[in-house]
Amino acid sequence: MISCKDIKVTFNAGLATEKRALRGVDLEIPQGEFVTVIGSNGAGKSTLLNTIAGDISASSGRLLFDAWDVTKVSAAGRTADVARVFQDPLAGTCGNMTVEENMALAYGRGKRGGLLPALNDDLRVLFREQLKRLNLGLENRLDAEMGLLSGGQRQSVSLLMSALQPSKILLLDEHTAALDPKTAALVMDITDQIVEEKKLTVMMVTHSMRQALDHGTRTIMMHEGKVMFDLKGSERSNYEVKDLLNLFAKARGDGEELDDDKLLLGA
Amino acid sequence: MSLFSFLGTLEIGLIFGLVAIGVYLTFRVLDFPDLTVDGSFTMGAAIAAAMIVSGINPYIATVCAVIGGAAAGMVTAWLNLRFNILHLLASILTMTALYTINLRIMGKPNVALIMEPTVLSPFEALGLSNMYLKLIFVAVVVVMIGLAIAYFLNTQYGMGMRATGANPRMAQANGIVIKQKIYAGLALSNGLVALAGALFAQTNGFADSTMGIGTIVVGLAAVIVGESLFGSRSMLVIIFSCIIGSLLYRLAVSVALNADFLGFTTSDLNLITALLVGLALIVPHIRREQKARKAAALGGEA
Ligand SMILES: Nc1ncnc2c1ncn2[C@@H]1O[C@H](COP(=O)(O)OP(=O)(O)OP(=O)(O)O)[C@@H](O)[C@H]1O
Ligand SMILES: [Mg+2]
Repeated sequence: MISCKDIKVTFNAGLATEKRALRGVDLEIPQGEFVTVIGSNGAGKSTLLNTIAGDISASSGRLLFDAWDVTKVSAAGRTADVARVFQDPLAGTCGNMTVEENMALAYGRGKRGGLLPALNDDLRVLFREQLKRLNLGLENRLDAEMGLLSGGQRQSVSLLMSALQPSKILLLDEHTAALDPKTAALVMDITDQIVEEKKLTVMMVTHSMRQALDHGTRTIMMHEGKVMFDLKGSERSNYEVKDLLNLFAKARGDGEELDDDKLLLGA
Repeated sequence: MSLFSFLGTLEIGLIFGLVAIGVYLTFRVLDFPDLTVDGSFTMGAAIAAAMIVSGINPYIATVCAVIGGAAAGMVTAWLNLRFNILHLLASILTMTALYTINLRIMGKPNVALIMEPTVLSPFEALGLSNMYLKLIFVAVVVVMIGLAIAYFLNTQYGMGMRATGANPRMAQANGIVIKQKIYAGLALSNGLVALAGALFAQTNGFADSTMGIGTIVVGLAAVIVGESLFGSRSMLVIIFSCIIGSLLYRLAVSVALNADFLGFTTSDLNLITALLVGLALIVPHIRREQKARKAAALGGEA
């Protein structure tokens, strides 16, 4: 479904601040695979997801969705295939628009925006139904301004929004990082449900080793702009959090033991 | 204030309601502060006047005026999107260029339309006095356009435009081509402002190369007055608060100018406008500060 062929991304090329964020990523992700992506800060995880979404265009290399070469396609042009949830709960929604308006925008993803009203009663029924899944009482607040919702509520709505239109690829960049543990668990739960329902191909960035192993079918670790480890199948099922942490220590090139199940700073 | 000048004030207030809607579209919806309007207002008047004088049907002339204004808006959008020129600066460039272009369109600094046919001519047979006819005509046009814009902002396309201004990254992630929305928004905004200019020229009987100066401030004043009166999220209410804001602004200005004890003259108009806009910006700010201080004091006691 997603093929990255030797993708390189360099920021500020030729300047003193030149930064090679991706240094040749080769990755084949078949349809229906749920990949969790780990790696230290600055490893290039967000850059990889942004490149797949089209926010960043690759400096070299090729990107394909099945047979469709999207290397030169704009972010908006890829949205028929790609849905995403950002790390920042404020980033995925418009704070000055209502819940239903935000959902209507997401409902229009990948369609041509026409001159018919974006909202109608049928859609409201659909939105209410979807919001009920969250158990946050939002189904009664369709006309509340998004900016009045808490970060967790906004993130949960963003997640529902990403699934309102059929898409093939779902990109999640630390989408539970800004949430309290209870809401994070709820959002992860709904993520799993949606992925299961829609048979999506998923890439999920996380800093939690637990999350990385408990969810999905494959785990990759990035380091300094490259894919360092690629775990799948039975090899992956034998992995424990502490094994992952050891991998990290190795990648960092020091023997230092890490005992937190969250990966801390350092690249 | 005499009835005659009162009706005249209402009429101008309504016409500038279109300017206010245009300014709302750029400043608030697209978050693209656009000063092109000073030039596109004059351009609308200039194109309409020049074409009418040369014998072309006033309705065709008015449509051409709108197209001219829309094109001016697209030039500003192009300078900003294609060459990364800061929006304010891009719009100042267009506005400055328009000053010369408008003089060229008219061929002289001003054109009189007193004896010429206008968009009102077909209705003169109704037998209404000209004073009322102008006001009713303008009111009908402005209300219809207000309804159309409010409808538009609730369509898929219009909502995409709102998202473009509110959160471009989110808009893009939802498949909205933001450049396209900015072009369309600036064209629509400046088209409306040019329509205001064309109507103004035809109801007041002249076009003048300097008539657009300060249009942007008047438009902003109307938007801000409207916003401070109605705090709604409904597009219909917001658009009509632009129109009502414009009417109130005009009335306030005319009262200020008519109140002899204040000692204002017509030449003080700009100062009055600046004071009004200033007040409309300062009052909510002070109110917010007071509220915050009160909340902090309460929090301290608890
Ligand atoms: N727009 C940009 N301009 C310049 N450098 C950038 C830009 N975006 C990212 N970088 C740099 O590229 C590198 C990779 O960044 P990226 O955001 O992909 O890391 P990450 O793996 O997502 O890290 P984190 O875990 O902190 O989110 C970093 O060194 C970062 O500073
Ligand atoms: Mg990141």
